[in-house]
Amino acid sequence: MAADVTASESGDSGAAAVLAQPSPLAAFWSAFGENKGAAFGLAVFGLVLMLALAADLVAPYSPIEQFRDAVRAPPVWETGGSWRFILGTDGDGHDMLSRLIYGARVSLFIGFSVMCVSFVIGAALGLAAAMTGPVVDTAVTRLMDLIMAVPSLVLAILVVAVLGPSLTNTIVAVTIVYLPRYVRLVRASALGELNKDYVTAAKVAGVGPFRLAWSTVLPNCLAPLIVMAALGVSDAILEAAGLGFLGLGAQPPTPEWGSMLADSREFIRSDPWIVTLPGLAILITVVAINLAGDGLRDALDPKMRRG
Amino acid sequence: MLAYFLRRLALTIPTFLALMFLTFIAIRLVPGDPVEVRVGEHGISPERLAFFRHELGLDLPVWRQFLDYVWRLLHGDFGVSLATQQKVLTEFLTLFPATLELSFFAMAFAVIVGVPAGAIAAVKRGSVFDQALMTVSLFGYSMPIFWWGLLLIMFVSVRLGLLPVSGRIDLITYYFDQPTGFMTVDALLSDQPGAFLDALRHLVLPAIVLGTVPLGVVARMTRSSMLEVLGEDYVRTARAKGLSPGRVIGVHALRNALLPVVTVIGLSVSGLMAGAVLTETIFSWPGVGKWLIESIGRRDYPALQGGVLLVSAVVILVNLVVDLVYGAVDPRIRHGR
Repeated sequence: MAADVTASESGDSGAAAVLAQPSPLAAFWSAFGENKGAAFGLAVFGLVLMLALAADLVAPYSPIEQFRDAVRAPPVWETGGSWRFILGTDGDGHDMLSRLIYGARVSLFIGFSVMCVSFVIGAALGLAAAMTGPVVDTAVTRLMDLIMAVPSLVLAILVVAVLGPSLTNTIVAVTIVYLPRYVRLVRASALGELNKDYVTAAKVAGVGPFRLAWSTVLPNCLAPLIVMAALGVSDAILEAAGLGFLGLGAQPPTPEWGSMLADSREFIRSDPWIVTLPGLAILITVVAINLAGDGLRDALDPKMRRG
Repeated sequence: MLAYFLRRLALTIPTFLALMFLTFIAIRLVPGDPVEVRVGEHGISPERLAFFRHELGLDLPVWRQFLDYVWRLLHGDFGVSLATQQKVLTEFLTLFPATLELSFFAMAFAVIVGVPAGAIAAVKRGSVFDQALMTVSLFGYSMPIFWWGLLLIMFVSVRLGLLPVSGRIDLITYYFDQPTGFMTVDALLSDQPGAFLDALRHLVLPAIVLGTVPLGVVARMTRSSMLEVLGEDYVRTARAKGLSPGRVIGVHALRNALLPVVTVIGLSVSGLMAGAVLTETIFSWPGVGKWLIESIGRRDYPALQGGVLLVSAVVILVNLVVDLVYGAVDPRIRHGR
C-alpha cells in the first residue's frame, strides 16, 4: 500500500505545485512518457487547450459573426474555396474555423466544470457515506443506485426538461449523470482505508471527523479518483455534445460542437464539411483525452496496468 | 440461493420507489401550472380552476398526490399523452419493440465482431493486428455516435446509394400487419417477397451506429480477459497434453474468458438505451428514444414522465435479471456482499 501513497502524492502534484518532491513526480513522468500513445494524447489535448484559451487571438473571426455574402462557402481545398474562410462557412455564414476554435473553449469548459463539481461533491458524498454511519450510507448509496438505473442521456433529458436548455444546465445535467461513479469510488476506497492503522492512529491522536476525512483518508483515495476524473472529462464532453445535438444543450448561436451538428443534416448532400468538421473536433479531443487518461492510469497505478 | 434471490429482489423495491419519486418530483418542478397546460392560459374562472385542480388531485397534500401517483402506476396507469391523447403505456408498448430490435442487432454486431477480434488480438499480442484493433476500439468508445451516424448516411446512403437513409422498412412497397412489433419477424410472417431483406437493410446502419461504442468495449474486455486466462495453469495443461492450438484457444481459454465479457454486455443495457435516443433521432427510427425527444419538443410532460419511468424500469429489471443469473452461475457472488 506504500506504493499507493506515493502514487497519489505524485498524482496530486500534477494539479498542485508539489514540485518540492521531485522523485515521485519524475517517476510519474517517466512512466507516463514510456507510453507513446499517452504522450501523443497529452500533446494533442494540450494543443486543443491552447487553442481554446487563445481563441480570441487565434480565431480569424468572431464565432457569431455572419457573412451574408458567403453562406456555405466551401473550405479552401474544395473547388470554389478561398483562404478567406479556410474551413468554409456554415448555413448561417459563420466561419467554421472560428466556431470550431471557440467550440473547443465551450466543450473543455463543460468537461472541466463537470469534472471539478463531480470531484468535489462526489468526494464529499462518498466520504460521508463511508464515515458517518449506516443511515447516511444507505441514503447516499440508494440515491446513486437510482441515478445509475436511469440511462445517462435519458436522465440528462429529464433534468434539461425541468431546468430548460442552456449551457449551465447542461453542466448540471451531466454532473448529476456522472456523480455516482465518483461517489462509489470514493466510498469504496475510503472504506478500504478506514480499517488501516494510520487512520486509527489519527483517531487516537484526537483528529476531528472533518480533518480525518479530508486530510487523512481522502489523500489516500486520490489515485483512482484522479484517473476517473481525467477520463470523466471526455465522457462529459461526449454527453454534452449529445445534448447539444438534440437541441437540449447550449443554445445557438453558442459555438458548441454538438449543436453545430444539430441542423447539419440538411447539408449532407450539398456541403459535407458542415457535417464532418465539428464531429471530427469532438472525436479528436475525446480520443486525445482518453489516450492521456489511460496513460495516467498506467503511470499512477501499476496494478491497473493493462497487458 | 433463495435467500440471495429474495435479498436482491428486495433491494430493487426502494430503487423503484425512488424512481417513482424522481419522476413525480421532476414533473412537479417543470415551470408552468399543469392546469394551465391542460386548459390553456386565458379565460378561466376561479371556480373552473378550482374544479380542475380538484379533478387532477392538485388540491391534496403533496404526499397524498405521490401516494395516488404510485397507486396509479401500480395499476398500470402511466397517464395520458397530451399530444396524442393515448395512454402513455400503450404508446410505449407500441414503440418499444422497435428500440428492442435495434438494440438487439446493435449488440449482436458488437459481440460478433468484438469477441473474435479481441480474442485474436490477445493471442497475437503486440502484433500489428493487436495494435490496430486497440486503436479502432479506442476510436469506437470515443465516438460521438450522432456524428458517426451522419457520416455513414453521407457516404453509404447518399454517395453510394447502398442502404436506406431512415425508417424501418420501405412503407410504399411493403405493407403488412405487425403482430409482434419486430419488423424483421413481422416481415418474415407477412410472406411478402423481399420484405425481410428490406427490413434488414434498414437495420444495418442504425445497428452499426448504436453498436460502435459496445464494440469498442467488448473488444477491449475480451482481449484483456483472454490475456489473463491464457496465463492460467489449465491453459498450460491443455497445451501440454497436446491439444491443437485452436482447441486450446477456442474451448479452454475463450469459454472462460467470456464471463467478464457477458457482465459487460449485461451492464451495457443502460448505455444502449441512452445511445438509442441519439441513433433513433438520426435515422428517424420510430422507437422510444425518438419519442422521448419529441415529447420534450411538444412539452408533452406526461409522456416524458411515463417514458423515463418505463425506460428506467426496463433497465432496472434487466440489471436484476443479470444479477440473478450471475448468482445462479457463480456462487462467489451469492455469498459475497
